[in-house]
Amino acid sequence: MTPKHAALELWPAAASAVAVETDYLILAFTVLTLVLTVPVFLAITWFAIRYRDGQEANRDTSGIRSNLIEISWMLIPFLLTLIFFVWGARLFVISKNPPPDAMVIEAIGRQWMWKFQHPTGQSEINDLHVPMGQPIKLRIISQDVIHALYLPALRVQMAALPDRYTELWFKADKPGTFHLYCSEYCGTDHSAMEGSLTILSQGDYQDWLTHSGAQQSKVAAGKAIYNAYGCGTCHDDGSNVQAPKLAGLYGRAVRLADGRTITADEDYLRDKIRNPNGNRLAEGYKQIMPSFAGVIPEDDLGRLIDFLKSNTRTVGDAASGEATR
Amino acid sequence: MSTGLADGVGIKRAHHFETVAQQRYAATLGIWAWLITELLLFAALFLVALIVRIQHPEATQEAARHLKFWIGAVNTVVLIVSSLTMSMAIEFSRIGWQRAMVRAMLATAALGSLFLVLKGYEYYADYEEHMMPFLGSRPYELTASPASRLFVNLYYVATLLHGLHLLTGISLLLGMTWIASKAGFLSRHQNWIEIYGLYWHFIDLIWIMAFPILYVVNR
Amino acid sequence: MSASGTIDSGIANREPHAPEATLDRPADYLHAQSTLRSWFLTTDHKRIAILYLASITAFFIIGAVAAGVVRLALVVPNGAVMANDTYNKAFTIHGVVMVWFFLIPSIPATFGNFLIPLMIGAKDLAFPKLNLTSWYVFMTGALFTMVSVVLGGIDTGWTFYAPLSTAFSNGWVLPALIGVTIVGFSSILTGLNFVVTIHTMRAPGMTWFKLPIFVWTHYATSLIFLLATPVITTALILLIMERAFHIGVFDPAYGGDPVLFQHLFWFYSHPAVYIMVLPGMGVISEIIPAFAQKKLFGYRFVAYAAIGLASVTFFVWGHHMFINGQSDLASLAFSALSFAVAVPSAVKVYNWTATIHKGKLRLDTPMLYAMGYIGLFVLGGLTGLYLATLAINQHIHATYFVVAHFHYIMVGGTVLAFLGGLHFWWPKFTGRMYNEAWGRISALLIFLGFNVTFFPQFILGYLGMPRRYATYPPEFQMLNVLSSAGATILAAGYIFPMLYLVYSLWFGRKAPVNPWDAKGLEWETTSPPPTLNFASPPEVPRVPYDYPIQEQETKAQHR
Repeated sequence: MTPKHAALELWPAAASAVAVETDYLILAFTVLTLVLTVPVFLAITWFAIRYRDGQEANRDTSGIRSNLIEISWMLIPFLLTLIFFVWGARLFVISKNPPPDAMVIEAIGRQWMWKFQHPTGQSEINDLHVPMGQPIKLRIISQDVIHALYLPALRVQMAALPDRYTELWFKADKPGTFHLYCSEYCGTDHSAMEGSLTILSQGDYQDWLTHSGAQQSKVAAGKAIYNAYGCGTCHDDGSNVQAPKLAGLYGRAVRLADGRTITADEDYLRDKIRNPNGNRLAEGYKQIMPSFAGVIPEDDLGRLIDFLKSNTRTVGDAASGEATR
Repeated sequence: MSTGLADGVGIKRAHHFETVAQQRYAATLGIWAWLITELLLFAALFLVALIVRIQHPEATQEAARHLKFWIGAVNTVVLIVSSLTMSMAIEFSRIGWQRAMVRAMLATAALGSLFLVLKGYEYYADYEEHMMPFLGSRPYELTASPASRLFVNLYYVATLLHGLHLLTGISLLLGMTWIASKAGFLSRHQNWIEIYGLYWHFIDLIWIMAFPILYVVNR
Repeated sequence: MSASGTIDSGIANREPHAPEATLDRPADYLHAQSTLRSWFLTTDHKRIAILYLASITAFFIIGAVAAGVVRLALVVPNGAVMANDTYNKAFTIHGVVMVWFFLIPSIPATFGNFLIPLMIGAKDLAFPKLNLTSWYVFMTGALFTMVSVVLGGIDTGWTFYAPLSTAFSNGWVLPALIGVTIVGFSSILTGLNFVVTIHTMRAPGMTWFKLPIFVWTHYATSLIFLLATPVITTALILLIMERAFHIGVFDPAYGGDPVLFQHLFWFYSHPAVYIMVLPGMGVISEIIPAFAQKKLFGYRFVAYAAIGLASVTFFVWGHHMFINGQSDLASLAFSALSFAVAVPSAVKVYNWTATIHKGKLRLDTPMLYAMGYIGLFVLGGLTGLYLATLAINQHIHATYFVVAHFHYIMVGGTVLAFLGGLHFWWPKFTGRMYNEAWGRISALLIFLGFNVTFFPQFILGYLGMPRRYATYPPEFQMLNVLSSAGATILAAGYIFPMLYLVYSLWFGRKAPVNPWDAKGLEWETTSPPPTLNFASPPEVPRVPYDYPIQEQETKAQHR
């Protein structure tokens, strides 16, 4: 899952023309920073040595304390930095104006997962697959608090607001797998709200669309959903809420409160999530779980069940940290 | 302000000031600085009110139609009259008419209390009309227009904050009236009346801004 | 007493006293009274300054421990040391305590309180009782916030963004919000007191352009206290109403705009940066001339720069929100305005450097801090311009680059200035000298530890590590371990001064009136000063910073 990086890489990968130009901008700015600071550092050090108390030195002041000096060191650095304002603004304006032929992918943030919806209908959780050489516009919204989608390899990020759509566009030109983060602090598992951005060639992207992602990514997506909807708060092994633990539940026989015994198959799981307080309560438990009918979209419910099916042992360990909502 | 004081009217110099003039200057500057701060406190609220109006004009108008315009208008008059009585108290203090000053101060406090009573009645009417969306037990009147809640909520925050200032003002005024009714008050602390007068006028001013911003422009 | 009679005898007509008129000195302020009551009900600005110093030191320790927890958690990438919630609470407590209970009051409430009346030749601040009140208000606010910490902490980040803080967080947000709101009033009262004092309490002959830069920067800071703090008070009141009573205006469920809260928040919190930075600049502007024995270069420009910074800072808040959905036009305008901050900042730095030129330098502890300050402030300031550049901001917004940037400003700037000032005026505050060798060692340790801690964070940020992450990709571990290692050096650098300064209170050498041969009215009175500051009214010098080495004042000559 984690994209491969060298342990000590001092420059991040750049996967678009804008990213490359942003790098030039920051490099040039660094040169200017050195031009402005190194003389000050050297001067302070030199003066500290040269004019130390007890040192023989010419301390006659020349009297050239003119306003000209003051104004020049006020304005010259300022004007030099303004070049960077203009350069930065130009790149910014480009990054704010997507071309009309951009492909639109919907991005939805919620505590604590990302969901991406491709124009052809496929959706994925936390991971984003995009084709190379094609302008892509992300339409971003949040379902709860403010998040922000950050794609460092493309040098862009944008807030996901709960009350309106925001946009972000890019044209990737280098294949590979890169990080994808939430960069606006959003609560307990903020740092788990990450995934990967995979840039594919056009052909590979079409291929990926038809196969709708690999099998293991479905399970990983289900795990993110399990965390995002806070299932683990009650159903993890370590939880102290009186609720059935889900590790290893799939395929096992369950004794119900009315004395029947049934097998926990896919239908049973689906039904219990949608309508937990129906007539199939497990023995020894109270009716406390809220209904998730209409709360979890159908495709995400499928992923969640894939996850519950996938692992008969470690469901309880899956929730990293304690999802508290 | 430095002229027109009768004999026997003035202030006692505190130990850390060199002159009475310095002390007077400091007190005046101090209260103005405080009032500017207070003004900005309310200005931010009013700004939020205007932004809510710009973002949701229809919902805001719908909510504002439930405000009791005439209670607000009467309250505006009540506060303006109270500012007048406060100004009279200041004038009386300058010419040394202590008894008249105390009466003017009591009248000011009474008018301030009248404002609060009217405001309280207005809140009660709001309650009756189901215009308190934050009360779980009373379903909100304008559920069809969720954004109207924003304006209604802001109305409560702004008026409650103003009411709190007024309540503080009345308490201070009554406490000060009690002290000011004692002999020799005017020779020691005449400027308390001047300083307090500025605060009272300020409370009045805030309402004079709140009334049009909340009640009038949204009708 | 006829009022009209006293009014005529204005401030300027005060009788001049000869300096040697009173030989029997009154007891100094520390020993004037010794009961607990005489401390907790004092109206002496110097004692109130000491009360503040003790309180903010306690909060600094709390904030530093929280920082230690944060750095400990980040030693490993997978969050094995503590749960995410614990980490989130640690960095929130660190931010809240450090910003509101240490950095904002640090220099103004301690040094400002102690020194402004001394520097302008007054007996006290204009409103001594109000001054004591503001300390109690501060402690009340602190109490509320500490209640929240003790009950289980908060996990919203110090920025309290809605709707996370209003509807989603499970922490003890309400007491913390109330505490921070209350502390705002303490700032306002302190600022009000300073403004009025500087306007009305100056000694005869102490004109505006004879005021030390320390007083100028505190004047500018006080204006920010008065004009910016009420706006965040409003924002926090709205937040409190929304969280406690559901009387909300930011709630997106009803079409409310959570970004509006951010606007109100940053309208205060950007100027708040200058509340933290300007007083530090004042301290540095006193230390450098004293240890160079040379008049401050470009006095008027440095004074105007303080007012300039305080003005510009009100128009740049939007640069915190470039990626938060504000309009592109607004972002362009805020970016351009932010570059203007470079002008007054450059004025300060170059004038300090020019002051050192051809001076007679003594590299004692305060001067070491001052020189460290210049270096770190320059780096912090210029990296601020990176963040103000729109295209760069889109990449490094909310990454460790931001964390490194503002720590260079707030620790490299404010904390170094605070420590430099503490050593500089320690003899005046306490009447004792600290151990110079230990002082220098600690100053070097702090400078070294600071850079090892925070420089790697610039790189982490540029590599794309988001801030406020309890867990992080493993390739960032090396730099994080380096940063945590630096933090231990920094911690040692902080612990030493606490030990040797406290030691000096009892065992330090008695301080002379003016141990540094510094200029300024605070060095004219005894160490420590008497309760009413001066045994006899001080004589105001001809020019500010009247040091032996002076540039010629004839500007036109060498045009």
